[in-house]
Amino acid sequence: MQGAGIGDGDLLVVDCGVEPRPGQVVVARLGDGFTVKRLVRWRGGLALAAAHPAYPLLPLPADGDHQLLGVARCVIRRC
Amino acid sequence: MVLATVLIDGNNFYASCEAVVDPAVIGRPLVVLSNNDGCIVSRSAEARALGIAMGTPYFKVRAQLERHGVVVRSSNYALYADMSQRLMSTLERWVESLEIYSIDEAFGLLHRPAGGDLSDWGRALRRQVLCHLGLPVAVGIAGTKVLAKIANRAAKVDPARGGVLDLAAVADVEALLETIAIEDVWGIGRRLSRWCRLRGVAHARALRDMPAGELRRQCGVVGLRLQQELQGHACLPLISVAPAKQETCVSRSFSEPVQSLAQLREAIATYLVRAAEKLRQQRQRAGAITVFARTSPFAPASFYSASATVTLPLASNDTAVLLAAALPLAERLFRPHRALAKAGVLLQQLQPDDLLQHHLLVPTTPEQQRRRERLMAVIDGLNRRYGRGAVQWAACGLQPAWAMRRSRLSRAATTCLAQIPRVLAR
Repeated sequence: MQGAGIGDGDLLVVDCGVEPRPGQVVVARLGDGFTVKRLVRWRGGLALAAAHPAYPLLPLPADGDHQLLGVARCVIRRC
Repeated sequence: MVLATVLIDGNNFYASCEAVVDPAVIGRPLVVLSNNDGCIVSRSAEARALGIAMGTPYFKVRAQLERHGVVVRSSNYALYADMSQRLMSTLERWVESLEIYSIDEAFGLLHRPAGGDLSDWGRALRRQVLCHLGLPVAVGIAGTKVLAKIANRAAKVDPARGGVLDLAAVADVEALLETIAIEDVWGIGRRLSRWCRLRGVAHARALRDMPAGELRRQCGVVGLRLQQELQGHACLPLISVAPAKQETCVSRSFSEPVQSLAQLREAIATYLVRAAEKLRQQRQRAGAITVFARTSPFAPASFYSASATVTLPLASNDTAVLLAAALPLAERLFRPHRALAKAGVLLQQLQPDDLLQHHLLVPTTPEQQRRRERLMAVIDGLNRRYGRGAVQWAACGLQPAWAMRRSRLSRAATTCLAQIPRVLAR
């Protein structure tokens, strides 16, 4: 997520108390791992987009094995 | 104005906490083991569905668990205690007063709007806890503690209720009370429930409607109170301030038998250091220390159990003082050729730490006292900040072979910055 200002090893502050909305950078569970991506509208549903255009969209089907966990609020950069 | 009592508790609390910090286990059967990886103490809904019983010794079902791909975790009490604290502080904002009843259970009091149904309130509370903490809870609402407990149980049993039940919104309360077996009425106890059974009082509704005089003669005020609560008259008050502790105990089973005096001393020192830390947290001092040890109860022929007590001249919560007093007791407990399976430390005669009765023969100046207190505060602070054991007492030993077995411990994801979850940011 370099494009969104989030780099390797950075500390992310995530607000789990709000419902994520399209356009926001979110932390999601996909299968058995956590990922950080931008939430976008896609074909009447939702999808996760990487900040880098080279990575494909990840659609979030309503019955898929995923869960939106929170909205990324701040990033603390490692120096 | 009518008061409502609510009981909120976590579903499969330990198992749910494990799922909060590790998404890989969501939807998979999971069990949590007791200390030393002994017995199953919590099961996820999926593990329950497999028919794994509560309290089963791990070694007996190990092969079965592996076959079903069950995730097994050692108990991570640091995690559960932290999640519990977060749960309770969330609940506090929802009720007028809160009684923390156990690590995953609390009673609350709130005003019921005239003729109002609190089901929506309960659903909103449940949603917020799930959203903020990731923990599923059940919410039971009624007029008294005993009824709230019943509502909570009914909320859990019937999936259609979505984890929330307000007894005031139930059309047929009679029928609901008849589904609650007499043994499951909160606070009834073995003797009273057996007596009810013998008299043909088999469920909560029958207890509610039986003649009060007879109940009183047989079961005294305890039985009468239960009946009153079932009738909707609150007689068990909410206890929102925990009473000061009378005793503090730290005891553990060993992962392997302790056969030498040196090891026993290390174990006792380790438990005492932990107990002293708790004592300072509780802002108390101890006036006496009891140390105990025993062999395994599964070898009854050679069973050995012993304890020894020392009274301190001056109540203290200084680890060095407590160690100096307690360690000599290890020699009195130790017997060669007795393989010890468990030991523990009990701090007694606890008193508030702001009052200190000085002793004629133990001269201490306030300045000395203050310096020792500062030292303890610094040690506790370092251990809180950098993890338990950052500053150790040499008496505890370096790498004890007897230390508690926790081979499947999850990360301290909520209490240690180095162990917070990692997300893929590609």
